[in-house]
Amino acid sequence: MGIGPSTKETSLHHFRDPLLDVVSNDLDVDLMGVIVVGTPQDNSDKYFVGERAAVWAETMRADGVILSVDGWGNSHVDYANTIEQIGNRGIPVVGISFVGTQASFVVTNKYMDTIVDINKSTEGIETEVVGENNMDRIDARKALAFLKLKMRKNG
Amino acid sequence: MDEKILRRLVIRAFHMNTLDFGDKASLDNGKLVINNQFLKPIIDADPLVQDITVNIIKPGDYDREINTIMDILPISTKVLGKMGEGITHTLTGVYVMLTGADENGKQMAEFGSSEGNLREQLFLNRAGTPSDKDIILHVDVKLLGDQIYDRKMPNAAFRACDLFIQHYRDILKKMDGRDATESHEFFDKVRLGKPRVLIIKQIAGQGAMYDNQLFAHEPSGFAGGRSIIDMGNVPMILSPNEYRDGALRSMT
Repeated sequence: MGIGPSTKETSLHHFRDPLLDVVSNDLDVDLMGVIVVGTPQDNSDKYFVGERAAVWAETMRADGVILSVDGWGNSHVDYANTIEQIGNRGIPVVGISFVGTQASFVVTNKYMDTIVDINKSTEGIETEVVGENNMDRIDARKALAFLKLKMRKNG
Repeated sequence: MDEKILRRLVIRAFHMNTLDFGDKASLDNGKLVINNQFLKPIIDADPLVQDITVNIIKPGDYDREINTIMDILPISTKVLGKMGEGITHTLTGVYVMLTGADENGKQMAEFGSSEGNLREQLFLNRAGTPSDKDIILHVDVKLLGDQIYDRKMPNAAFRACDLFIQHYRDILKKMDGRDATESHEFFDKVRLGKPRVLIIKQIAGQGAMYDNQLFAHEPSGFAGGRSIIDMGNVPMILSPNEYRDGALRSMT
């Protein structure tokens, strides 16, 4: 299990990514950059790369992180771990992921209290229609609004 | 507000109103002409590539059977500077849709696939899909059958499509910037004193059609890119402008 047609982000999506657009144009925050982290097969590797991403965030002195994923199922193992690693370091983190009715998280933790669900299909499923369940500007704005609240609470 | 500008990227868009086949590839005054003579050398160069078919799909003309959609990408090219700075040219109004299967109909997909009637398989007007007014340059690659399904299969299709597009990137590169339909400036900047936000994107990295490449020679390109799998899936960091300039190539 990984990335299906309706959630997968095409190269065109990356070229005009709504999340990058929303965060970089918000005058209240300082966008540091975009980390891309892979989704390896072995569990030990999943934990390893997620921890490395979290250490990056800590050493960059990030005040907040938005973690986005375009896959689900097994990919959520990596996802939950990376969120936990970031959360454990005291850094506010907000997620963006497909959940719907089909993709409830296989693992979860206390830092996963603000996840923006990108599902757009009526049934809440992987419809195999390319683009249907893609993250859009509204999802990105919700995520940034959640993160601002979390960062404010963090003081 | 205190800001520190780090670098500037200019993306100039050339809008295409028409897309046609012709004897000579050209790009002029909103008209893109494509030439199928470019295809044969690409097919001949790779034993895995059996055939490439190029179709022009006009807005609304979606009632057709397609193989699984491997990617949708812009035709963009670096004109000046490195990825994330300088000048990039890109086409609007026309986007490439790459589809692919092997000779036996085995689809180039991983977790679910999108072959079928295009009308039912593509959701228009998303950031990652063409709008209902765009023309789709449909490139379908037929790969050698009865092969072990690993990365070399989809990569052959991605490479073939990239080589085909490069002919048009090379023309686009030479376009006079004054003829651009739109021009956008983007800055990597520090907003001093504001909360620092980091975006992390978890991307695929396990094998065929579950892969991503970074830092190709051209925006959203294939040639010269490095697979996140080959980099051990470890985090790589991009400046906002590098990301915006097509540093990440989707191969899912």
